[in-house]
Amino acid sequence: MKKIGFLINPVAGMGGAVGLKGTDGKVEESRRRGAEPQSRNRAKITLSLLKNNPDLFFLTCSGEMGETILHETGISNYRLLYKYTGNSTSEDTKKAASYFMKEGVDLILFCGGDGTARDIFDIAGRNVPILGIPAGVKMYSAVFAIDPVAAAELLMGTDPWSFRDSDVLDINEERYRAGELSARLFGVARTPAIPGKIQESKQVFEEQDEERAKGEIASFMHEVMLPDTLYILGAGTTTESIASRIGVKKTLLGVDAVKNGQIVVQDADEKTLLDLIRNEKDVRIIISPIGAQGFILGRGNQQISASVVRHVGVKNIIVVATSHKLRETPVLYVDTGDPTLNREFGDSIQVISGYRMAQRRKIFQHVHE
Amino acid sequence: MYIFIQNKLLCMQTKILLDEEQMPKKWYNIQADLKSPLDPPLNPKTQKPIGPEDLSAIFPMELIRQEVTTDRQINIPEEVQDVLRLWRPSPLYRAHRLEKFLKTPAKIYYKWEGVSPAGSHKPNTAVPQAYYNMKAGIERIATETGAGQWGSALAFATMLYDLQCTIYMVRSSYTQKPYRKSMMQVWGAECIPSPSTKTNAGRAMLEKDPDTPGSLGMAISEAVEDAASHGNTNYALGSVLNHVCLHQTVIGLECREQLAMVDDYPDVVIGCIGGGTNFAGISFPFAGDKLTGKHKDVDLIAVEPASCPTLTKGLFTYDLADEAGYTPLLKMFTLGHDFVPPSIHAGGLRYHGDSPIVSQLVYDGVMRAVAYHQSEVFEAANMFARSEGIIVAPETSHAVKSTIDEALKCKKTGKEKTILFNCSGHGNFDMSAYDAYYAGSLVDYEYPDELIKESLARIPKIS
Repeated sequence: MKKIGFLINPVAGMGGAVGLKGTDGKVEESRRRGAEPQSRNRAKITLSLLKNNPDLFFLTCSGEMGETILHETGISNYRLLYKYTGNSTSEDTKKAASYFMKEGVDLILFCGGDGTARDIFDIAGRNVPILGIPAGVKMYSAVFAIDPVAAAELLMGTDPWSFRDSDVLDINEERYRAGELSARLFGVARTPAIPGKIQESKQVFEEQDEERAKGEIASFMHEVMLPDTLYILGAGTTTESIASRIGVKKTLLGVDAVKNGQIVVQDADEKTLLDLIRNEKDVRIIISPIGAQGFILGRGNQQISASVVRHVGVKNIIVVATSHKLRETPVLYVDTGDPTLNREFGDSIQVISGYRMAQRRKIFQHVHE
Repeated sequence: MYIFIQNKLLCMQTKILLDEEQMPKKWYNIQADLKSPLDPPLNPKTQKPIGPEDLSAIFPMELIRQEVTTDRQINIPEEVQDVLRLWRPSPLYRAHRLEKFLKTPAKIYYKWEGVSPAGSHKPNTAVPQAYYNMKAGIERIATETGAGQWGSALAFATMLYDLQCTIYMVRSSYTQKPYRKSMMQVWGAECIPSPSTKTNAGRAMLEKDPDTPGSLGMAISEAVEDAASHGNTNYALGSVLNHVCLHQTVIGLECREQLAMVDDYPDVVIGCIGGGTNFAGISFPFAGDKLTGKHKDVDLIAVEPASCPTLTKGLFTYDLADEAGYTPLLKMFTLGHDFVPPSIHAGGLRYHGDSPIVSQLVYDGVMRAVAYHQSEVFEAANMFARSEGIIVAPETSHAVKSTIDEALKCKKTGKEKTILFNCSGHGNFDMSAYDAYYAGSLVDYEYPDELIKESLARIPKIS
């Protein structure tokens, strides 16, 4: 029997259709503009597929945050764990998540958007895997299944579950509404994955296990890193494993720099990076695509700005990613904020995916820009 | 195909066939025509040139002689010719339909080696190798196989001469191509996924990496160890070595005769390259013409995968032929003997080194090499299947891709070049690769050569 913490953000997705670019602090205005809740119907699709699975037991919240929808779907093997009153808020999501943690759930299944993902990850961290049924306005985080059906398939796919790393992004909604995307890497959650499903072509992949794959990339990078060269390491677990292979401690979410096996700067902002590289002869940037869409630059690594990239040179960027991550993002994106610089990346890029191994991957380029 | 000439309907010849008695009676040894002798193989321990006695534990004396001789022609034994006649001479095709599809002024010919019982060019050398071992009183042969082409060819050949056969098959191919394994069983051979627990080399590799997809280099180590540790057992290699290239020259020798029948001679000769012998087979007779000044301008192109680009990105230096270091050091283009190429579908091209003769000729500029990604070669193979009908092996699709590119260049320049390529094997057991192509899930692996240059420093240094 697997214990699943289940919650819905009842208002997720409401702001989207009425042009509010998100629902944080805008629930009433969304309702005034005639928005309908999206998440309950999305969650029902997933639940109806899980309904007859005797192996799953749900722990949930009252009313529209869970119980009502479980009941409507015809699921009876659940227990009510958290009751809320009035309109549910971000605080309710966090409280429910901490109740789930105390009960020792095997996984938290939620229905919502980037904000919900961030709130749950804030409590669950990497201790409990999380999986999102997509229903929000913005879904830059990689914890979401591609659709509600896929979410059910992921839970029924393998036994025991296998997991992958997935980036949780923190989008500043106020700035987002002002037309500026500020996407910080908030953390790296664990999310179920089905290796078999991805392997349907019967091709043998070089590495199924993500930790091992990161180890292979790290060994290779360690082998080819040059002396007296400054390496700017972007955010994420792949670059973190490179740092750990060369024997330094890197910040998981920040941008750090190393040289000759020593940390030069940790969690640097754009200005720090610019000051640093001004005095360096040889600089390289090692980055990994971040988020559900596979952004090399522009999401989670925004400290590595257009000015930094221009200074270092596009040809001195080394992109690293496990083949698992690459399979989830068939096309990579670059959003430096400077269209001319974006175009310098060309139509494809080499991505280091293993020990002495790389893949040629397509980069999305706007036709008109 | 029909054409009208002066209002007369003429049938355009598609297949150019030789009679059985026109099958070559002698192999062509290009070592006779090299500008300078090859650098000798070295003993990895002493780093001194090896002598025949170093190889006698695993090879019969006649093959050792063929490995080093500079005689221009070597007789093909009557008993070997008898077997080769089961499918040789193989047909040469004029690819009218592909030419028409490409709208190219080029004339495209392909030598179809898929007519052999094993479905590729490999039996051309498997048969004489089994024969010479049988003559030397050997009872069993151990070998390795990548995609399974060589393993099935040797299984077929050893059966003909009543020899036992043990085949170490690269694990990723063992899983991908179960029917190759079945063929080996039909012909009475034993097939083991490599690395295995049967040899010291295999056990050491599994200890280092239990989930390794295996590689040709690893499988060679296992087969060599098996042969060296059993008195009645010899080793056979399906590629790389000089005597293997020699046996394959029947391909190019037949092509030259067949083209002469239609009064033609190639401007471009193309073959895919893993260890180098299918390319050697089709190109050496023409390379000989180039070296001796008869046809100075013939363009000889070896086509390799971008994921294992030995000739285009490797170093020309001494390196081991296998992973564990049992084999002599060979002077060749190499990516390093510990390089494990990604599991592309063209398993037969996953080899870190290349034939020393081909390497020398590429180094000297007599031949050249190009590299392609996996999805573009399957696109070409698809084009070929839909125009000429034959579903080629993933390895062969590299040669098809280069041929199409050369033919399209002719379309641009208007030149009516004659292009010949070695259609080295069928892909009937590789349909999962085609499935992956149609599903859009082929990964374009490539070799990060810019970053890697430093790491090649770990190749054994020869003073």
